Amino acid sequence: MLIGQSGFAFWNPIVWVIAFIVVMAIAFFFRSRGQKKYKKDTAQTKIFLSGEEVPEAEERHVRADNVYWGFFETLKGYYSVILRPHTGIINDYIIWFIAVIAVIAIIIFIAGVV
Amino acid sequence: MIIAIPLLAAFLTPLIGRISGKARNIFVITSLAFVGFLVIILARDIFLNGLHVYTLGAAEPIPAGYMVPVRIMLEVDSLSIFMGIITATISLIAVIYSFSFMKGETGHNRFYTLLLLLVAGMFGMEFTGDMFNLFVFLEIASISGAALVAFRIRFADSPEGGFKYIVVSAISALMVLFAIGLFYAQYNLLNIGALAQAMQYTMLDKMALAILIAAFAIKLGTVPMHMWLPDTYSVAPASITAMLLAASQASMYALFRICFTLYGVTLNLATVGWIVIVLGLFSMFIGVTMALRQTDLKRLIAYNCVCESGFILLGLGVGLAVLGNPGALATYGTMAISGGIFHMINHALFEGLLFLVAGAIFYRIGTRNLNEMGGLGHLMKFTSILFLLGALASSGIPPFNGFASKILIYESVYQFNPILAIIGILVSIITLAVFMKAFFSAFTGPVLPKYKDVREVPKSMMIGMATLAVIIVLFGLFPGLVREWLTDPAANALINQGAYIEGVMGVVP
Repeated sequence: MLIGQSGFAFWNPIVWVIAFIVVMAIAFFFRSRGQKKYKKDTAQTKIFLSGEEVPEAEERHVRADNVYWGFFETLKGYYSVILRPHTGIINDYIIWFIAVIAVIAIIIFIAGVV
Repeated sequence: MIIAIPLLAAFLTPLIGRISGKARNIFVITSLAFVGFLVIILARDIFLNGLHVYTLGAAEPIPAGYMVPVRIMLEVDSLSIFMGIITATISLIAVIYSFSFMKGETGHNRFYTLLLLLVAGMFGMEFTGDMFNLFVFLEIASISGAALVAFRIRFADSPEGGFKYIVVSAISALMVLFAIGLFYAQYNLLNIGALAQAMQYTMLDKMALAILIAAFAIKLGTVPMHMWLPDTYSVAPASITAMLLAASQASMYALFRICFTLYGVTLNLATVGWIVIVLGLFSMFIGVTMALRQTDLKRLIAYNCVCESGFILLGLGVGLAVLGNPGALATYGTMAISGGIFHMINHALFEGLLFLVAGAIFYRIGTRNLNEMGGLGHLMKFTSILFLLGALASSGIPPFNGFASKILIYESVYQFNPILAIIGILVSIITLAVFMKAFFSAFTGPVLPKYKDVREVPKSMMIGMATLAVIIVLFGLFPGLVREWLTDPAANALINQGAYIEGVMGVVP
């Protein structure tokens, strides 16, 4: 059991697991009450695509490239900036390293001793 | 013994391998299992009796007639042994996994020799009490790690990944050596405890600190020095990627040992704490948004590693920022450090599992490209469940271990600065989106005709992945025990600079 020191947080994984099992049991109960009298391998179990011909398996699956398309389109500006330093060239990586040393050194020198 | 056994076993492995491959495998696994057993014994002893100092070739740290320690010294406290537990666990699982995963490759003797050298280097970095030996062990781990990344030379990108790893490692190690030179020039000392006691926080010490922070931060893939990490992690064999992850944590340990123990109270704590926090925030946000864009499964997980390292930096950075404020340290600082340390082991476990699962997929279908995957959940049910488990743990979903450590970080960081906690929660939500994309692309949907004959991976790979999954679930269900036995003592060891110095010097400054 974990209890945060602020007094605002409480976490007990065993209670969570018991609650999860109870909720799952209820969900499965309702599921078990569903319709079982359907004919397998007939039109009842086939994919229905508004009467259109169903594409082959390879074409039906949404590819990773297309997932979150709208998100990337909206954040195109952010990604164009963030992708620029990812050149794949080791020389660039080392330049970033040197730059970070310089920035940290300047901050530490300016901040001085407490 | 914990360092010596893998080192000795590394040199015996090729000899035994000449007799029989099976005997070599048994020898490697037995060596690492025995080392794991020794780590547990030492951990128990440290938990009961406090830190251990071992001086090579002498009974006392400071020989008669000397004022300062001059010998090679190992100093193991609760934090060091905590790191040792991570190394022992991940290396043992990586070896079990490798037995099947590397079966199709040649040069097994060299592979296991390098792997054992990497283990010795990691243990050495975690247990040494001496800055120069920290550099030596860092080099051992880096060279063997680079060779292992480039091991599967038949793939065009493996040598490139190995090259990038060795260049980054060599330059960062060179800078570490330069910083050590600055210490030695001023204090004539190399021992961490003795240096901490003598530390004057001069201009050269400040320069050394800046170099050391950047040198270890690049090794753990902190933004903006992270670009090498996906290039390297994605091309290494899956078991080695998990090992490199543990090696990056050894660098993280070195970073915090330097900030907390070597500089400690002489440091401008708020400034350095904020430097670590800002590096952590950049790593979290840029790591997760870059992960979201990836279509190479291992690169996606590698960017997520950058993100999760950010969480650790955030927790420990907050602890560092309030180290000089006893009230804040007691209220939330110690919890932030404990949460960060807890996240270190969790990070190694769930990211390790995700890399092993990615390796299992590559083993069966020969690609890491998510665009070419689909429907694997129908064919590799066990693997898909393990991926989901690792993904949920990484996203901080209850009741898995990632949630346990992240809630500690959120709660403590919130009291320091609420905006940081809000960014953390946002990043976790995006992490979930990252893994839902990966899970959806690889495991759901109809079975693709070209993969219709795909089946589960061999048993040794399953055992490796399942062991990590079991530990993830147990750590998630019993986080209180993990805190009590592992992370809280480690956090206290990190805070208590005096005890570390006293271990060598015999006096509290």
